[in-house]
Amino acid sequence: MNAGDHWRRVRDLFEAALEQPSGALESWLDRESGGDQQLRADVRSLLDHHRRTGSFLLEPVGNRMAELMGGDARTLQPGDTLGSYTIVREVGRGGMGRVYLASDARLGRNVALKALPPELTFDASHRDRLRREARAAAALTHPGICTVYALEELDGDLFIASEYVDGATLRYQLDSGRRPSPADLAHIAGELAAALGHAHHHGIVHRDLKPDNVMMTSDGRVKVLDFGLARLSTPDAAAGPVTQPGTIFGTPAYMAPEQLQGDTVDARADVFAFGVLLYEYACGVHPFGAATPLAVAARILESEATPIVERRADVPPAVAEVIDRCLSKAPADRFESGAGIARALERPERSRGGHSGGAPRRLATWWRTHQFVAIGLYFVASSLCWQIKEWQPGVTTAIFVAVAVAGTVAGVFRGHLVFTERVNDPRLASELQRAALVTLLADLVIGLALAAAGLLLASTRPVPAVLAIALGVGVGLVRLVVEPSTTAGFMNPKA
Amino acid sequence: MPSNSKEQAADQLIPAVYHELRRLAAAYMRRERPGQTLQATALVHEAFLRLAGAGQPWKDRNHFLGIAARSMRQILVERARARGAQKRWAGLDRVSLTESLVRGADEDAMLPALDEALTRLEQLDPEQARIVELRYFAGLGIEETADALGISPATLKRRWALARAWLFRELSERR
Repeated sequence: MNAGDHWRRVRDLFEAALEQPSGALESWLDRESGGDQQLRADVRSLLDHHRRTGSFLLEPVGNRMAELMGGDARTLQPGDTLGSYTIVREVGRGGMGRVYLASDARLGRNVALKALPPELTFDASHRDRLRREARAAAALTHPGICTVYALEELDGDLFIASEYVDGATLRYQLDSGRRPSPADLAHIAGELAAALGHAHHHGIVHRDLKPDNVMMTSDGRVKVLDFGLARLSTPDAAAGPVTQPGTIFGTPAYMAPEQLQGDTVDARADVFAFGVLLYEYACGVHPFGAATPLAVAARILESEATPIVERRADVPPAVAEVIDRCLSKAPADRFESGAGIARALERPERSRGGHSGGAPRRLATWWRTHQFVAIGLYFVASSLCWQIKEWQPGVTTAIFVAVAVAGTVAGVFRGHLVFTERVNDPRLASELQRAALVTLLADLVIGLALAAAGLLLASTRPVPAVLAIALGVGVGLVRLVVEPSTTAGFMNPKA
Repeated sequence: MPSNSKEQAADQLIPAVYHELRRLAAAYMRRERPGQTLQATALVHEAFLRLAGAGQPWKDRNHFLGIAARSMRQILVERARARGAQKRWAGLDRVSLTESLVRGADEDAMLPALDEALTRLEQLDPEQARIVELRYFAGLGIEETADALGISPATLKRRWALARAWLFRELSERR
């Protein structure tokens, strides 16, 4: 008798035995097993175990999925030390693992330590892949990207050490229900596009861009986190393909159609995610929202999003246009990369004579104020020198003439710059360069002349003398110290 | 809500397979606390992609349910195994019997051993393994499972009892 037959007889006997009253079971088994001792023993032991099974397997394993899928092998407590790191506190728990704020004793700085779950670090090929990714991510330095410092192996576990970003995620802002103003939206879109553009330029695709991965720092900057899942989009022949087609990482709700289908993806998948993310941030509604994540995935594949202006009318037209195009199903219909988005966002704003984003506009206002104050000071300086010449004629006449001429020249140039900035913006950079030497010389002449006049006057009228010297030193210092930074910040706010 | 009709229209385009997966996903979602939905999503999603990647088109709903349950078993067991949970597994005994199994950590530790036992059971009787996959891994009810396997609910109940008894014995005797 083969094993299959034996099993079938065990099964049938077991099933029949379930129906028997327990009192008559033994004799029933004797009779039914027909003298086959092995069969009888097998069924007997199964029946014994059957009575003891209790709740065994009765509750589907899915009920405890969160623990099974997300549970870490270990958690770290404040004060624990790992290598040169001391855990300060847990700051978050992502789909991939826990994140801790830790201080690094070697460099005396705070870092974010992200514990990679053991299932990712289990086998050697995964570890190699993570090392490649960490190396690629560490090569990115951009103010809009959270810098990866190192992949650390500490006590047998793998951690990614990265810049610690203090702020709130876009997810948090979304959940808080507060919608951004049109200006904030444009600002965030611009910063995010610039950050993506930088990564894409270096051949790195994020692949998992979502509101949980975008931080808003307390000083209003945007930081993209978690290039942990990014991989080089240009295939590395020596290292082999880093992603098998058909392998999926990330969150379905922000995945491009081609990504959901398991095709190979490039920067344009990030462009799609960018569109979904900003759409959701602007309107508080997911463009492909549905009851369950799989239904969302299905809608991403098959249905078109409602144009964003129908949901929210005050979205700046340039931003609305960009978002709608990012959500195109076919990658070829989207922008090539983050840089493409950034250019599209900037163009229409420029032609209206302003600067895109809130920060540059604020800088422009400061820069303009600076110019007007400087012109005002030239008047004050000239008037003061006229008065000094009246009090104490002689060489002061020459000083007055020098200050008046320099003030007039510099005043004209500064007025010209403000005019250019308002009316002919694109020429501003070259005009600034042209005027730089003239205003520098004029300001230094005025500063020195005021100081000299003050010294001449010191013996007879000390108060106006001190005033003149102070004004002279002030004009010189402002020109040498303050103006370079306001102008540079205004011309190149990303610097 | 004006977008409702649009969503319904979109839903009609969704192939039947999405409905099935969605139903499975929804069953998991109901049991999850907010903020943990990602894991369930990831599981069902991964299960779906394994199906899609397997290159075997599902013939009908029952066939589909079968492979979905199989995928979930593979994924969950792989994860449990990857965490090195096996080391902590000391087998079932009279003390740990039932109550302790309700706790996640023990289940986590049990999964790899259960998977091995299930593979042995499958060699004896493939139907037994399928019952366990559908009931325990995919979370289907008695009726649904019976339907998927084309047997009566009464028969299914008896065979499910057999599978549990057999696996319980297997795990109790393993040390």
